[in-house]
Amino acid sequence: MSDPKTRFLVVDDFSTMRRIVRNLLKELGYTNVDEAEDGVVAMQKLTAGGFDFVVTDWNMPNMTGIELLRAIRANGALAHLPVLMITAEAKKENIIEAAQAGASGYIVKPFTAITMAEKLTKIFEKLGK
Amino acid sequence: MSDFAGMEDLLQDFLIEAGDLLSGVDNKLVDLERTPDDLGLLNEIFRGFHTIKGGAGFLNATELVTLCHLTENLFDKLRTGELKVGPDMLDVILAATASVRTMFSELERGLQPASADPRLLAQLKQALAGLLGSGELRVVSAPAASAAPAPRPVAVGDGPDWNAYYHAVTGMTPPDVLAVMDAPVSEQDAPHLSDSTANEIITAAVGRRVSDKPGYQGAGGGRRDGERQRDNSIRVDTARLDQVLNLSGEIGLTKNRLNALRSDILNGKNDTDTLHALDLAVSQLDLLVSDLQNAVMKTRMQPIGRLFQKYPRIARDLARSLGKDVELLLLGEETEIDKTMIEDLADPIIHLIRNAVDHGIELPNERLAMGKSEKSSVRLEARQEGDHIVIIVADDGRGMNPEKLRAKAVEKGLISDEEANTMDERQSYNLVFLPGFSTASQVSDVSGRGVGMDVVRTNIQKLNGSIDIRSAQGSGTEFIISLPLTLAILPVLLVCLEEQPFAVPLSMVREILPIDPKEVQELGGRATMVVRGEVLPIVTLAALLGWPQQRVPEYGVLMQSAEQSFILAIDSFAGREDAVIKSLDDFRPKGVAGVTTLSNGQIVLILDMKELLGSMGDQKVATRAQLLLEGRLPAAA
Repeated sequence: MSDPKTRFLVVDDFSTMRRIVRNLLKELGYTNVDEAEDGVVAMQKLTAGGFDFVVTDWNMPNMTGIELLRAIRANGALAHLPVLMITAEAKKENIIEAAQAGASGYIVKPFTAITMAEKLTKIFEKLGK
Repeated sequence: MSDFAGMEDLLQDFLIEAGDLLSGVDNKLVDLERTPDDLGLLNEIFRGFHTIKGGAGFLNATELVTLCHLTENLFDKLRTGELKVGPDMLDVILAATASVRTMFSELERGLQPASADPRLLAQLKQALAGLLGSGELRVVSAPAASAAPAPRPVAVGDGPDWNAYYHAVTGMTPPDVLAVMDAPVSEQDAPHLSDSTANEIITAAVGRRVSDKPGYQGAGGGRRDGERQRDNSIRVDTARLDQVLNLSGEIGLTKNRLNALRSDILNGKNDTDTLHALDLAVSQLDLLVSDLQNAVMKTRMQPIGRLFQKYPRIARDLARSLGKDVELLLLGEETEIDKTMIEDLADPIIHLIRNAVDHGIELPNERLAMGKSEKSSVRLEARQEGDHIVIIVADDGRGMNPEKLRAKAVEKGLISDEEANTMDERQSYNLVFLPGFSTASQVSDVSGRGVGMDVVRTNIQKLNGSIDIRSAQGSGTEFIISLPLTLAILPVLLVCLEEQPFAVPLSMVREILPIDPKEVQELGGRATMVVRGEVLPIVTLAALLGWPQQRVPEYGVLMQSAEQSFILAIDSFAGREDAVIKSLDDFRPKGVAGVTTLSNGQIVLILDMKELLGSMGDQKVATRAQLLLEGRLPAAA
């Protein structure tokens, strides 16, 4: 089962969206949340350590979500981290790309806390195995 | 009442952030017109619409999602090279941006936006299908409609089994997801190319208010309904907030130190060391408090670039509608200015730009005839000069003609022939600020009818600022706005009437001179003094306040307001001070702008000179005899 102390990193260039995700996580009982505004900042924070879960947007300047995902999977110390992609991209190419790059889950905006909870539970279940 | 109960915070955040984003998109569109193949620009604009769409989804603003979705798809095709940017397409995109802005203003009023103009949606779809501007109006029939956005998932036989991927990753069956994206896109819209004129777009971009309309008499520059909502929040760099926190912590420590010293001293310990420590602690507190004031002030400071961003699009649209080619150059966007001032400057600057493009800049053929380049520029610049912020709106157009301005003002009955003859160039330029003045013989849709420049000046003055004009015939005009760094602290001159000090804004004070009864002349029944060839009326502070005048004033303060210069006669001075203005809530005596506390604890009224002068009417200027108390016992001076 998931630990409410799980430390999340929410990555999105749109601060409103970061706040939405943060609020949804709070609704689900996760209060240990940090934010990053793009992939580059996210990688800096992740390499500094201490994070258990990454929730990232796809479309961002400097370093996109998919690039971030690949960078995480390519980094020995971070490769194990679950990465949930949150984006408005509902195109087949995108979803395939995310799956192939090793996304743990994929949510299409807009979504509710329930959708998010289901997704998180699924990911935690997989991790537990 | 609101469609967004429980989501107000989110809505506000969204509007502020998405509003900035949209302004950025607008500017990039203007750039895109010049460099249609810039992939970086296309990507950024794509991301802008994409991000707005994402946020709008959470607000259930389906119509906004639909519009952004279509536009985003269009940019997706543009950035992959599938489609090319053409003038027709750009028009549609600009119309879409304007429509997004309209929806934002509906959201600001707490309403779910209504659907965008069906013609616009149809055009976007045509553009997506590559049918735009193909020469004929095409009916979007079945095949065209199938080229609409959001490609439907089709399991491709020899491709990867993406449906399985999809299911594995999302846990949803594909149509569910796509239904979300597809649902708002109605496909039955009228297929005609819009005949919407440039004017409609401009009006949408510029925004019209009651106060813009000819004949509007109320207070100018009021905010539109619902705009109030945005005023309450501010985005502050965390580093700045941390600084405030650190300083207040330090002040707390110093306070503890002072407390300890106080008990020492109260207990009779008053040796040199203790007193020295007290002195040190007080000086430290002094320093910390002024640092804290500065740091707090800085949290209110915002880069003016956020305001400037709105203008290139407006300038472009205006220029286009007038058949002119104008580029708006932005300089000093990083200059920081108090947030409230940013909001109150938005309208005056729009007006100045509008004027520059409409009146200042010549038509391309006129420019060529004068040996100028066909393309013109308007410069919008901000910079800090000492404790002032200077904002300049300059054009390279035809410049102002002082003679024409004077003739116009006489014709309109705003000044007399006599007055016109004595006016120098600068005074003539300033005529444009008179209510009811307009130099355009033909009223254009863009600049209105001479309502505006006076409102511009009033609004600038409300911010304790001033506006000045420099112009050279044939080569251009500059409007120079000068503003204080902040409205919270007002440098004042303390003047005394008998023993009572009053504060007057230092920004109005030009110089201080002694009043020599021999130099006081009576002109038309009014006491005046000649200062460097300028005849100035003398107004006594006693008369302004309605106090009986007890003695002959010793000093005159030469004060300059926008309308007039005059000498304020006072008894003595108490120095100058940086006043922290405290407003008198619910209670505002006429002529009092607020109060401040002096270093000795005394409370002093800050005078609103303009209001005092206004309330005096014709009685304000004393006769020589009144001023010098002639015919009465000589005052003990």
